[in-house]
Amino acid sequence: MKISLNWIREFLDFELPPLDELVDTIGSQLGAVEEVIDLSKKYQGIRVAKVVSCEDHPNAERLHVCKIDDGGKTQDVERDDKGLVQIVCGAPNVRESLMVVWLPPGTTVPATAMSDPLVLEVRDIRGVKSNGMLASARELGIGDSHEGLLELEADVQAGSDFAETYKLNDQVIDIENKMFTHRPDCFGILGVAREIAGITGHQFTSPEWYMSPPALNGGGGLPLAVKNELPELVPRFMAVALSNVVIAPSPLWLQTYLSRLGVRPINNVVDITNYMMLLTGQPQHAYDYDKVKALSDGDTATLIVRNPHSGEKLTLLNGKEVEPRPEAIIIASDKQAIGLGGIMGGAETEVSSETKNIIVECANFDMYSIRRTSMAHGIFSDAVTRLNKGQSPLQNDRVLIETVKTLCATTKASVASPLIDDQHLQSEQISRSSVHPAVTVPTDFINKRLGLSLDDAQIEALLTHVEFSVDTKSHSFSAPFWRTDIEQREDIVEEIGRLYGYDKLPLELPMRTIKPPVKDPLLELKSKIRSVLSAAGANEVLTYSFVHGNLLEKAGQDKTQAFELGNALSPDLQYYRLSLLPSLLDKVHLNIKAGYDEFALYEIGKGHGKGEVDEDGVPLEFNRLGLVFAADPKLARQKYSGAAYYQVQKFATHLLRECGKPQTLTIIPLDQADAGEHVVLQQMLAPYEKTRSAVLHNGKYIVGVMGEFKPSVLKAFKLPDYAGGFELFLSALSSETAKTYAALPKYPKVQQDISLKVPLAVAYQQLYDFVWSTLEASKPEQTTLELSPLDIYQREEDTEHRQITLRLGIASFAKTMTDSEVNSLLDTVARAASDKLGTERL
Amino acid sequence: MAYQNPKIAEVAEQLKARFSELTNKADILKAVELKALYAEIPSLPAEQRAGFGEEINSLRSELQQLVGGTQAETKTLAPIDVTAPFDSNTASDKHPKLLSSELGSKHPLMIEQETILDIFYRMGFTASESREIDDDYHMFGSLNFPEGHPARDDYDTFMTVETATDGKRFIAPAHTSTMQNRILKKYAANLEAGSPIAVLIPDRVFRNEDLDARHEHTFYQHEGIYVDKGINAGHLMATLKTFLQAYYQKEIEIKTQPFYFPFTEPSFEFALSCPFCDKKGCSICSQTGWIELLGCGMIHPNVLREAGIDPEIYTGFAWGGGIDRLVMMKYDIEDIRHFESGRLDFLRQFS
Repeated sequence: MKISLNWIREFLDFELPPLDELVDTIGSQLGAVEEVIDLSKKYQGIRVAKVVSCEDHPNAERLHVCKIDDGGKTQDVERDDKGLVQIVCGAPNVRESLMVVWLPPGTTVPATAMSDPLVLEVRDIRGVKSNGMLASARELGIGDSHEGLLELEADVQAGSDFAETYKLNDQVIDIENKMFTHRPDCFGILGVAREIAGITGHQFTSPEWYMSPPALNGGGGLPLAVKNELPELVPRFMAVALSNVVIAPSPLWLQTYLSRLGVRPINNVVDITNYMMLLTGQPQHAYDYDKVKALSDGDTATLIVRNPHSGEKLTLLNGKEVEPRPEAIIIASDKQAIGLGGIMGGAETEVSSETKNIIVECANFDMYSIRRTSMAHGIFSDAVTRLNKGQSPLQNDRVLIETVKTLCATTKASVASPLIDDQHLQSEQISRSSVHPAVTVPTDFINKRLGLSLDDAQIEALLTHVEFSVDTKSHSFSAPFWRTDIEQREDIVEEIGRLYGYDKLPLELPMRTIKPPVKDPLLELKSKIRSVLSAAGANEVLTYSFVHGNLLEKAGQDKTQAFELGNALSPDLQYYRLSLLPSLLDKVHLNIKAGYDEFALYEIGKGHGKGEVDEDGVPLEFNRLGLVFAADPKLARQKYSGAAYYQVQKFATHLLRECGKPQTLTIIPLDQADAGEHVVLQQMLAPYEKTRSAVLHNGKYIVGVMGEFKPSVLKAFKLPDYAGGFELFLSALSSETAKTYAALPKYPKVQQDISLKVPLAVAYQQLYDFVWSTLEASKPEQTTLELSPLDIYQREEDTEHRQITLRLGIASFAKTMTDSEVNSLLDTVARAASDKLGTERL
Repeated sequence: MAYQNPKIAEVAEQLKARFSELTNKADILKAVELKALYAEIPSLPAEQRAGFGEEINSLRSELQQLVGGTQAETKTLAPIDVTAPFDSNTASDKHPKLLSSELGSKHPLMIEQETILDIFYRMGFTASESREIDDDYHMFGSLNFPEGHPARDDYDTFMTVETATDGKRFIAPAHTSTMQNRILKKYAANLEAGSPIAVLIPDRVFRNEDLDARHEHTFYQHEGIYVDKGINAGHLMATLKTFLQAYYQKEIEIKTQPFYFPFTEPSFEFALSCPFCDKKGCSICSQTGWIELLGCGMIHPNVLREAGIDPEIYTGFAWGGGIDRLVMMKYDIEDIRHFESGRLDFLRQFS
């Protein structure tokens, strides 16, 4: 929202503070200032002048040599004996006695000031000296016209400062629109002027025409009718016809006000409706009366407010044809649509230079309907910006009457119809002249919520400055008619706080007991996982929650099980990921290519699949940890041996030891695991190669998977052969894994190895568990055991067996263990294993 | 597969016959006949080109499938004993090992999130995560955003094709405030027991924006909620100032600008004096001396009411701020896209 300080000043009876201070105050008490544009610099040194003589240039057909009178005001410029300045000018409309704008040497052409400043000099033009130039509207940056010099009114004073004469010695402040989302009144100069008075501690007084509009004497001659079929969406629709309008350019002062706030001057009628919109926030529309009448039945020009008929089309002022959405509010004549209500008028009834009679419409529209129609058709006009905030329906009459009066005065028009006011407001809204009922707020309520101790008089002053009605006895606050946002006590508190200044509130921390807050177990767990894995040399990555359908397919997942984004800007983000691993696999090749020859990447995040929902009806979210390990083939050959699975298992078991839950997880080969109907699980297991992967099972469910990938996955992600990964549900982990301690034995530990030839069908874990439980059952009293794997060996010639060597450590609290005691223990183990598992001791 | 074009059908026959004899199956994709077919496209009449091209492409993908099938077959590796700690015949010096801890790293965004969390824990807050998929009610409805309200324009939300039971699309939350209603409800009992609701919600959020060096569609926020009797805007500002002083470990100044959010009233944009130049003006604060850091305000009474908390008795404040920006300023990171790039060049700088 751009505001002009000069325009604001017209409504203030006090001096504004210096610019810097004002900008700070606006920032802290009204809304963020995005930009301050100092126009006065742009027009510095530029003067109003009179063309005293105008003669043909001796050496050029189209040029004139002029003598101009600047009242002798400009210094350091060459003058003739009468004090006049010589200028060469090529404009077709230059003539004697014309009042013009002169840019003396040394000034900058205003239109060029922002981009590539053109500074004028004394120049020789075809043998004649020219001191600066005479300017067109476009060169001055106040309009589009470049057909000739800007012609000033005859009564301006030669030599006066151009900027001062037209109030262009101005500053334009751009305040962020977002602050005014609930303040439709602040989309008008009047609203912002009032706020500036309020926040600088001054009384604001709205102009007479706004507070108590004069009656408008209706005229006759141009029959006009309004039919409103949508009173719910258009609670107020006002219109009036004016006859004998003389369409012409607006007065210059008016044009400059519009142009400095970014609105292009068009003609007097359109400019005046726009001027009133910039002033009050209320958009209006002018129709060519005769064009509307021609499209109406009979002799009455009729405006109908309705929804479009099926397939109905409309060409707008911007030349675009639209087929309004079925719920749109359109304005129509008897015969056809002639405007998209509150958004943009139609081309067929546009006011043009031939227009003689006009209709001015000033209506109130439902903000939600305006917003939806504007979004549906992609039209974001100045009117939409204001109407989609919900303008007060109590100001239409005031705005329209002032507009009509200005039009009559400026364009010599007369009122030629009754003032039609089709309104469907609550009668109380009109009688109390306020959109919402008064709010009663005890002083204590206000002070408690602001941490202040304001007295009634202070509160009254703050609010009456911006024209609230305050009854201090009953603590009742009634908002003025333009405010739509004051409905409850907190709204009054906000108003008082802002007008007082939030930056002036006493800063005080909330009081609390010393009871320690509870840390969130899930966040604690994530933090612990990070510490454990980072210490294990792994790198945490974050990847997007949304993925390309190809990524899911590359990983062997079923994208129809993934939630799909309907409005993603890129197919890269089309699906919610089903599990973390594919995203991690996607980061392997790029890092190998960047020269990293071994690494482990991990991510803690969520995956989503269609299926179960929680008690709120939103999809269940599963927190997971994914890790991928990869090594460049060259390095893998030197450093690693065997399947990459074991390297991944190393990371997984390390993590489980640090963050596992006390419950034991079992490792089950993937080809023996059953994911059942569980979509989330099925998709998580999809990338893994069945014969070289395993699931982690907690006795009830599968809680994780680890292993190598299917050849198709390796290929699709360009993974090195030595690669593997795991993914776990965080529900299987805990940040509070208790470490256990066993008392230290008094006597030294004895170690002995046992090697067994084991049938291939017996899994390592089965053997280990068997040996362990046999040892525990047969060990001497008061001893502690350790059992660790030493070697697993398979002879090339014997594909039926493996040799597994375990190392036993045993220590006693009672005595030093002898070798024979240990041997006998291991003999027991070997015999039992031979009986039960068919092993053979080596 | 039957090919319409006789020429393509013929080449298909030839190549399929040759395929069974090839030792390196992938070579079939480099067959000269296939290349010759592609080379022919430009010389065809324009209206035939598309159809011809499509057929060659299907032939090519048919061959690719053949190749893929055999590779999967030949590459199938022997089953392994997944319960063993290392593979058979692995020398003891080649047993699986963790990597050097010197190489490991936490993600810088997560380091910062933990730092922020730690400060708020010390200030008496508890914490909770947010969600990555949510519904219209939690994202908007419960937060006093009426249906069709212009304030919704400021949230370019990703929405799913799938709908919830109310027929509305699921939403990828554009702010951590999507948790406000749940958190207020969950901890409402605190209030009756005489203690405040004080919760920090750090998590990932999403905006449907084009990516560039300054804009990510995926980023991190920390949301704070504090509700108790007698809480006012001064408490909000003091809390944020205290947090920022602890975070930057120096004295700072704060200022607010009025703002509009449907779920807070009053609402503010909150700025701090630039901690990097102490208000002298530097590149980080764009020479202004101030850094706009977060949005905040007093929780709107409708939001409290919606969660079953009586706004006549209790008041509270909430804020939401970005974490990515804090990290970018701290390390002078030039491109926000590095965060989700997965590049070790970036990540290992934080080991």
